[in-house]
Amino acid sequence: MSQTESQDIETATTSLQTTSVAPDNKTRRYDRQLRLWASSGQAALESSKILVISGSGTSASVLKNLVLPGIGHFTILDPHKVTEADIGSNFFLETESVGKYKAEEEVRLLKELNDGVEGVANTSDLATILKNDPTYLTSFTLLIAHNLHPELLEQLSSLLRSDPFHPPLIVVRSAGFLAEFFIQFHEHTIIDSHSETPPSLRIDKPFPALLDHALSLDLSKLDPTDHGHIPYIVILVKAAHEWKASHDGRVPKTTEERKEFKKYLQSLRVKADEENFEEAEAQAYRVWAVTNVPSEISSLFNDPILANLTPTSPPFFHLLAALKTYTEKEPHTLPLSATLPDIKSDTTNYIHLQNLYKRRAEEEKEEFTKILVANPVQPQTPIDKGLIDEFVRNSHGLKVLRGEKWRAVDQDSARLKEASQSYPSHTAIHLAFSAMAALELKGVQVDHTTPAEDLKSEAAKIYGPFEEIEEEIDNAIAELLRAPNADLPTTAAFLGGLVAQEAIKIITKQYVPVKGYCVIDLISSTTSVIGA
Amino acid sequence: MSVASPLSPLPGRHYHVDQILDRPGPRTDPAFVPGETPKTFLREQSKILVIGAGGLGCEILANLALSGFNDIHVIDMDTIDISNLNRQFLFRPKDVGKPKAIVAAEFIMRRVPGVKVTPYFGKIQDKDEDYYLQFNIIICGLDSVEARRWINATLVNMVDPENGESMKPLIDGGTEGFKGQARLILPTITSCYECSLDMLNKPTAFPICTIANTPRLPEHCIEWASVLEWPRVHGDKKMDTDDPEHIGWLYKIASARAKEFNIEGVTWALTQGVVKNIIPAIASTNAIIAASCCSEALKIVTTCAPYINNYMMFIGTESVYTYTFEHEKRPECPVCGGETIDISVGKEWTVERLIEVLVERQDIQIKKPSLSTSTKQLYLQAPKQLEQATRPNLGKLLSELVEEGDQITVTASSLPFNLSLRVTYV
Repeated sequence: MSQTESQDIETATTSLQTTSVAPDNKTRRYDRQLRLWASSGQAALESSKILVISGSGTSASVLKNLVLPGIGHFTILDPHKVTEADIGSNFFLETESVGKYKAEEEVRLLKELNDGVEGVANTSDLATILKNDPTYLTSFTLLIAHNLHPELLEQLSSLLRSDPFHPPLIVVRSAGFLAEFFIQFHEHTIIDSHSETPPSLRIDKPFPALLDHALSLDLSKLDPTDHGHIPYIVILVKAAHEWKASHDGRVPKTTEERKEFKKYLQSLRVKADEENFEEAEAQAYRVWAVTNVPSEISSLFNDPILANLTPTSPPFFHLLAALKTYTEKEPHTLPLSATLPDIKSDTTNYIHLQNLYKRRAEEEKEEFTKILVANPVQPQTPIDKGLIDEFVRNSHGLKVLRGEKWRAVDQDSARLKEASQSYPSHTAIHLAFSAMAALELKGVQVDHTTPAEDLKSEAAKIYGPFEEIEEEIDNAIAELLRAPNADLPTTAAFLGGLVAQEAIKIITKQYVPVKGYCVIDLISSTTSVIGA
Repeated sequence: MSVASPLSPLPGRHYHVDQILDRPGPRTDPAFVPGETPKTFLREQSKILVIGAGGLGCEILANLALSGFNDIHVIDMDTIDISNLNRQFLFRPKDVGKPKAIVAAEFIMRRVPGVKVTPYFGKIQDKDEDYYLQFNIIICGLDSVEARRWINATLVNMVDPENGESMKPLIDGGTEGFKGQARLILPTITSCYECSLDMLNKPTAFPICTIANTPRLPEHCIEWASVLEWPRVHGDKKMDTDDPEHIGWLYKIASARAKEFNIEGVTWALTQGVVKNIIPAIASTNAIIAASCCSEALKIVTTCAPYINNYMMFIGTESVYTYTFEHEKRPECPVCGGETIDISVGKEWTVERLIEVLVERQDIQIKKPSLSTSTKQLYLQAPKQLEQATRPNLGKLLSELVEEGDQITVTASSLPFNLSLRVTYV
């Protein structure tokens, strides 16, 4: 907007101010996703390079959902030319594409979705690359393979498994209404898992400033309006302190005592409808629910990497080591979170309380940082403040996932048996796919004329006697043989969504990806994760 | 292999879909006749309506076209915004400002040979029963509860027990971030959208006294700017949440208020999020839910496999979790149940209080209701003369106007159905 003389100083500065904070086009375009994974997740996506092996309808569906949110680069590896059949299952091919290279046509039409994404078509074949140029494959951030021949898949998965720094691989199989996928990864650490469990407010272990604040209040001297504005956290801290003083320092333990404690809370009301006291009563359990290190977090402290920490260990484990030491000290909790939920209160009381939490959280982060820099083993490059901050803020939702090789589950019939107890039909579908791969490894081209018995005997070699899941096995094999080579558009789209979502979780290191096989049955419209 | 027909150029492209139509599966209904019958019905006779050409709509249209639905209609009243481009893949930056339905229809017809997509740029309420009767199936990809309630009630009302064709399957999808759901409604047979109203998350509403007197969160400051300050400063001028100048103004006012109260966290994005009630949305979740909807449509139209009974929930935040279950009909559902709802009313309640309660109740959620009994009008929202005539009743005690056990009929212009209440005084 140009500045004219008629504008006074105030309007000029305000409009300037407005334009400087108003989002740019890129932020506007990505607004709906930035609200999920923020700019850190977006930056990770934008620096990722993805290789998709095969230019099938399913592959294009996956890529569509990755190009739209703005990955950095994708390559489609496919040596084939477009057939009429391809057009019917792939939205990113058009009538004129028939006879041209599938990879090239698909890249051209996918790139239309987002100018910011680089797309490359590779029309050579995987077998040659595996032999001559494996470093090409390992240079990507993530690889995705759809309906790849099991022999090549085995080579690819072994290559990527051979070095912990090699990228993860998503193996996708589909036939008609049935599908499955598996993510092969080495180790996946997550700081921001977007855990839906809120961190503890530590009402049972109030930090000194909170306790002082609570005890400094004389509820009986407040006027009724102020009385109705004391945050429930303060009420509970104070009430618990008083209770303990008259009960040998113990919190309410028995049901009877807890009832009595709630009665005591009621007696503190000056009016019947004080919402802050209603909240206090509803949240009273926080007085006796002991704030410890959650078991999901303390179990991470047994991680083998912590015992053998080296300067080159990932920063995550240096931070985890510091967290372990931190929790060994009083009050044996995770560092305090600075975020308060919204609670019934007036502005002054709420902001005061929020500042107490903020200040304390800051102090505990300082304490954590001191421990981190005093760790006997130090990381090669110092960990920056931003990462420390993120780690401490999300310490109640940390995750470490250890992956395994594709097919490892199939070599362990005990795990398959266990899966079949909970998910019989999905385990059967998985076995049908594995049996199909086993036949393909023997050079059989599976189509609808392939005898069901052939698949069944391969499945039995993997699983052992079917016993109670025999009917499910027969059903799964019959459905698979109905359309063993069909890349159904709806199944492709469903898989495209699921696999892209997993790819986003892997790349951004936010949210929690699937461990095990995700098996999909679009006849019953169900999914299960087996062999996790 | 099928022969080329004007409706199906490039017959070889049906290779994939044909595999599930040429052979039954173990769970297919024995009455299914594979081969030409389902193919012809799908490709040459069926007619399907897609409501919404946004995040879900784009996906649904592409899936249906590839699956072989050749006569598709689409309704959408919106135009394209830049923030749609991260997922609504039929639109390009040059399309910003154009009607979604029209651009989407043109794109699909350019890309997929033989398909006809008929767009309507407008509201679903513009169309009557005759219009909806022409379709075999209706798929909804909407973000509005109101619109869903309208189409649901319209389709339930349309059912004529004498005419099986009047029952139109409604497939409804919805997403929010990494989560979503897809369901099948067979009007009058399965539970309907209204039956499940209480499953919706209650929208975050901030009490006006908090906004005015005791702000604690940045959201409270933003609500103050939009709900109280905007009308005070701008009078009747309507706030346009798509206008960056308006958002900029709200942001400035909210920031000043936050500063005054030492509240942190007012940002442009949050301001926009609060005033527009923005729901995070990504392509991948839309793909999953749309695919599920279209998979059900394909199964219903061709009978090649059993369809869902009747609800699938999807959560992708931690691993992949889906839950498929039968959502049950609610006998007192005002749309498909028809039973009178018993409501306990305090003796001291005024008519206005009853209206407030109806608006609040999670299973009713009726905006601006009009109330009447068989003998008198309690309160009518419109027309103006009747509103004025009945307004004095708002302050009167309900118990003075309605006897115990009497029925009150509740209507609202946004909903094509009546609600019948039976009053008990407590």
